[in-house]
Amino acid sequence: MPDEHHVRDRGGPNLQYELRQQVIEARRQTFDHLIERLGDRPATRYEEGTIAVQAEEHFHYRPLWAPDRELYDRRYSELRLTDPYSFLDPRQYYYYPYVSARATLHAELSATLAYLEQRDLLAKMPEAWRTGLLEGVLPLRHYEAGAAMASEAACRFSYGASVAQCAAFAGFDRIGAAQMLSRIGLSLDGSTADSLRAAKQHWLTSSSWQPLRRYVEELLVIDDWAVGLVAVDLVDSLTYPVVWRSLDEAALTGGAGAYSLLGQHFTAWYEDQRKWLDALYAAWLADPEQGKANASVLLGIVDAWLPRAREAVSLFSGPLRLAAGDALLDAVIDAAYAEVTERLATLGLEPAHVGAGR
Amino acid sequence: MPKLSMKQRYSVLTRDLDWEPSYVDEEELFPHATFEGIKIHDWSKWEDPFRLTVDSYYKYQAEKDRRLYAVLDSFAQSQGHLSLSDASYLNAMKLFLQGVTPLEYQAHRHFAYLGRHLKGGGPRFAAICQSIDELRHAQTEIHTLSGYNKHYSGFHGFSRMHDRVWYLSVPKSFFDDAVSAGPFEFLTAISFSFEYLLTNLLFVPFMSGASFNGDLPTMTFGFSAQSDESRHMTLGLESIKFMLEQDEGNVPIVQDWIDKWFWRSYRVTALVASMMDYQLPRRVMSWKEAFELYFEQQMLEGLFPDLSYYGINPPRHVQQAVDEKDLLSHQVYWTLFSFGFAAGFTTSIPHDDHLEWLSANYPDTFDNLYRPQWEKARRIREGGGRFFFQGLPQLCQTCQIPMIFTEPGSPTVIAQRWSEHRGEKFNFCSDGCKWIFDREPEKYVQAWMPVHQIYQGNCGGPTVPEVLAWYGLEEGDGGEYEGSVDQRNWQHWHEAQLSEVASR
Repeated sequence: MPDEHHVRDRGGPNLQYELRQQVIEARRQTFDHLIERLGDRPATRYEEGTIAVQAEEHFHYRPLWAPDRELYDRRYSELRLTDPYSFLDPRQYYYYPYVSARATLHAELSATLAYLEQRDLLAKMPEAWRTGLLEGVLPLRHYEAGAAMASEAACRFSYGASVAQCAAFAGFDRIGAAQMLSRIGLSLDGSTADSLRAAKQHWLTSSSWQPLRRYVEELLVIDDWAVGLVAVDLVDSLTYPVVWRSLDEAALTGGAGAYSLLGQHFTAWYEDQRKWLDALYAAWLADPEQGKANASVLLGIVDAWLPRAREAVSLFSGPLRLAAGDALLDAVIDAAYAEVTERLATLGLEPAHVGAGR
Repeated sequence: MPKLSMKQRYSVLTRDLDWEPSYVDEEELFPHATFEGIKIHDWSKWEDPFRLTVDSYYKYQAEKDRRLYAVLDSFAQSQGHLSLSDASYLNAMKLFLQGVTPLEYQAHRHFAYLGRHLKGGGPRFAAICQSIDELRHAQTEIHTLSGYNKHYSGFHGFSRMHDRVWYLSVPKSFFDDAVSAGPFEFLTAISFSFEYLLTNLLFVPFMSGASFNGDLPTMTFGFSAQSDESRHMTLGLESIKFMLEQDEGNVPIVQDWIDKWFWRSYRVTALVASMMDYQLPRRVMSWKEAFELYFEQQMLEGLFPDLSYYGINPPRHVQQAVDEKDLLSHQVYWTLFSFGFAAGFTTSIPHDDHLEWLSANYPDTFDNLYRPQWEKARRIREGGGRFFFQGLPQLCQTCQIPMIFTEPGSPTVIAQRWSEHRGEKFNFCSDGCKWIFDREPEKYVQAWMPVHQIYQGNCGGPTVPEVLAWYGLEEGDGGEYEGSVDQRNWQHWHEAQLSEVASR
């Protein structure tokens, strides 16, 4: 029953047209919490959808599962930002650009898989590369699922919407990566999932995968979301360059073009993931009040987890040795490790173990 | 081996990623899984409420947002806000941005908690989908209403207001209550009670209101959120059925939660009721009609007979909600009108035709109980004044709505219930709210009560202007609509336009 009584009569379509010509000056360009920070200028959609969106005060009840904490509380981690919005995502991802970017990523992977299937290129891979993929790569789908849980914890327990949002996207990305790997498996096994069942067995029982599985299980029980996030990043920092980026050339020359074609999508994701994490490390270390404490906490995490990450990656990538050769695999692991330690050094963090593994 | 069926394929892509840990204890990995007393014997019995792989999710969602943002952009470019039914319509949207959008954001964060802490891989994946869906809703709502914020009052400080302003502690404390509970109670509270039982009462009125009142952006947002919401609803229903099927001992726990969360959610919808009946220039349907359709018919007559198979009864105190459907919106809007000087939206006396509409829709109550109030308010206005209540209201310790509701069967007698806890007296608006408090007094005594806080000097100072400044309210945000900044601008913009056309 619409009631049209005090709806203004605005005349016909002519008036509608005219209304569009009217210049109306804005009373304000954006919301108060952005004006206070950035001045009264038009804010981007990333800024409006992110900054100060999380509640910060007057939480009504303490969590039943953490009675000594607030619902949102900096104390869920030792790594803290005085101003949570000193970290902003350099990719400026809010939901829409995020899902658009990932729709493209997955569409591209689908196109690659379709291309490989049409030409039967996965089946035609040299045996060593095929085995390498089945035994040295596919079990990573479980690693990705564990990493997703660490990211979800970071989304819930981090402080401020900018970090939480990146963590949420990363968590979803992880399930996406697990599904990308699973789809490769289904392509390899003719959609019977045999390859995935075998990969799960490797994950659960093969000695080469146990250090990584142990690593993931142990990082998930640590009650500090940032430790989980950083520990996963340390594995990523070795895994993605070693498994995908650095074996590209060897796969191409070794007749495993399929491996290289698949690798580009994972490498593209990893490069994207680096952007926000590097910005977050920088923000932690640059924090005017917490910077020093953060540096020492970060160094502690790196010292505790990086050597284990290196060991885990060296072992699970074993099945790729037959394809790529021992010398190359050792070299790419060393190179990836050097890249991590150099990146940390640039941030002012010198891990205790640098060089120890060489 | 045969090829996988669609269901098996989905399972391989989601729950099969999960494994049982052996390097750490399962209790250590899922420390929040058991303290609520819910027993799950076999997570593999979880039926996926929807099957959406990550690649399809991205594809659909990106396409929906592409369209939505195209509408937002063209609406802004064409000064679409001038085609609204009236500037006063935006009061409903101010309430939405201040009261509902921050809840969407909280849902985003806490579904991530389920994505970490639920033990089954299947439900964890459903939860992480919902987590980013809810972020989508929070952000698209902010972006949708951001256009109005440039030209109208009341939107500009929604985030701080949600943390501070008295009537917004109603939705905020509601959601804080759910988030501070364990994972299974949160599912019952939000996925089932809020998203399933009451979602149509919550969202349909806002979205239909938008379409009736020329708010194309909000309408488009509503449509594009619908497919997300239907996933969220099926998750809510599956969660309840799963808990009930897993162990008989879960039944009384879930019943208790349904009783609590029905009443808690229902009290939040009181704000929606007043919006529907009083804040829309072009009204869609009355609260009473919506309640009968979306709750009595669809839920009480449709859903609960099915749930009785599991031993679940309709929510405790539901009869009171049914009984007050003729009263609710009037009591709430009168309160908002009376305390409107401290609100982030404007209120006004209904026009004649609006009063007639209210009489027609509430034949048993409006003319004898509520029309006289509005006539009194009119006499005051005719004398050059505006009725506002002097002083601050007493709030219900549970729902935090002022104590304005009446005794069942006696619509002129204010209901007042109280409980004593550790020698202190706490007041409640209803049997439902008292029952909720008495179950968990240690929780509800913690509440940040806006009126108490003002009296304790924690809200900017002792005077009204100081409190309003602390709320971040400016002139024109609250108070009377007639003569307000928004109304004056609206008239000016439209008159300028009329004269321009006339001069041609």
